[in-house]
Amino acid sequence: MSDNFEIEKVTEEESQAHFEPVIKLNAVEVKTHEENELPIFKMRAKLFRYDKDNKEWKERGTGDVRLMQHKETQKIRVLMRREQTLKICANHYITSDMKLAPNIGSDRSWVWNTATDASDASEKFEGPHTLAIRFANSDNANEFKAAFEKARDANSQTSTKKPEAEAEEKAEEKAEEKAEEKKDEKKDEEKDEEKKDESA
Amino acid sequence: MAEVPTFKLVLVGDGGTGKTTFVKRHLTGEFEKKYIATLGVEVHPLGFHTNFGPICFNTWDTAGQEKFGGLRDGYYINGQCGIIMFDLTSRITYKNVPNWHRDLVRVCENIPIVLCGNKVDIKERKVKPKSIDFHRKKSLQYYDISAKSNYNFEKPFLWLARKLVGNAALEFVASPALAPAEVEVDEQLAQQYAAELDSAAAQPLPEEDDDL
Repeated sequence: MSDNFEIEKVTEEESQAHFEPVIKLNAVEVKTHEENELPIFKMRAKLFRYDKDNKEWKERGTGDVRLMQHKETQKIRVLMRREQTLKICANHYITSDMKLAPNIGSDRSWVWNTATDASDASEKFEGPHTLAIRFANSDNANEFKAAFEKARDANSQTSTKKPEAEAEEKAEEKAEEKAEEKKDEKKDEEKDEEKKDESA
Repeated sequence: MAEVPTFKLVLVGDGGTGKTTFVKRHLTGEFEKKYIATLGVEVHPLGFHTNFGPICFNTWDTAGQEKFGGLRDGYYINGQCGIIMFDLTSRITYKNVPNWHRDLVRVCENIPIVLCGNKVDIKERKVKPKSIDFHRKKSLQYYDISAKSNYNFEKPFLWLARKLVGNAALEFVASPALAPAEVEVDEQLAQQYAAELDSAAAQPLPEEDDDL
């Protein structure tokens, strides 16, 4: 007898019964839309959403929570999939207004708000939501917090950079426009000269 | 986009064995502890992404309690696959499995069916592994499952999908994680969110002995 209360379970067997398939499907190329991103943080956790009407937390999924950074835009999002089914239970950018608050009486969970969420569309989980996440221990929770806050600062820098970059682009465009205008002017001058030649 | 292949799944079994909780777990991730008997039937589309593209089980979650049965086997018409659920902590729910099976195959002949013994997380298991043999006689697939701990909770759908598509190489794959929207939060909204955050943070999370 073991004292770890291992629950007796059925040994898995696969039924070999044959059924006529209902539909013929071909293998497809799987696209995760994570192809242009790098996971900069990964930790197993349990996610909850707050049900405002009933004032209670509801489980959302267990799996690895990951912070994914886009290789080109550098933007970082929270992405979490449920184990086993690999369905998405959290998918949002980390924005400057987000702060992680502790959950009462817990040293291994955080609570935050997100205005929007892009989990599986069929679920109608667009947001806004108050989410909570729980880790195995407070060390893991603190590691997450540090990574989350670092990502938030990085994201706010990439978004503040944006207007400047756009301004530069616009300046360049204007310069090009001017150059083209000058060309046109020159052309007009040439044309005038041509006309003069003709009339002469 | 092409239409997602959709299968009608009939979910039956005694009242209180966890059919609705199992469906909700798949739909939203939540684990519903409260027991509210299902009246008649509730139909939920359960989508999965596979290496053969997206598929959908239109799940007919039927009433287990006789008095709430509604149309009963009227719900089984055109069922393409089935799940029969019983409670591993209640012998009577296993004893009734042959009745559910008989009624289901009377309407839906030769469909793939999974027998699920739910609540395997509970230590006081009453229906012992060696006494579960009904599936062998009737060519059903069997799984111990737990809607609470998620033990094997994807297996019934995976096995059914493989049979319906006729390919044992079918696997669940990561669903497409589309880029989320970028939303500007104005001052007023930010204040509202902050208030909501405070009230949520003051509400303790359900303390479960989770396997993190």
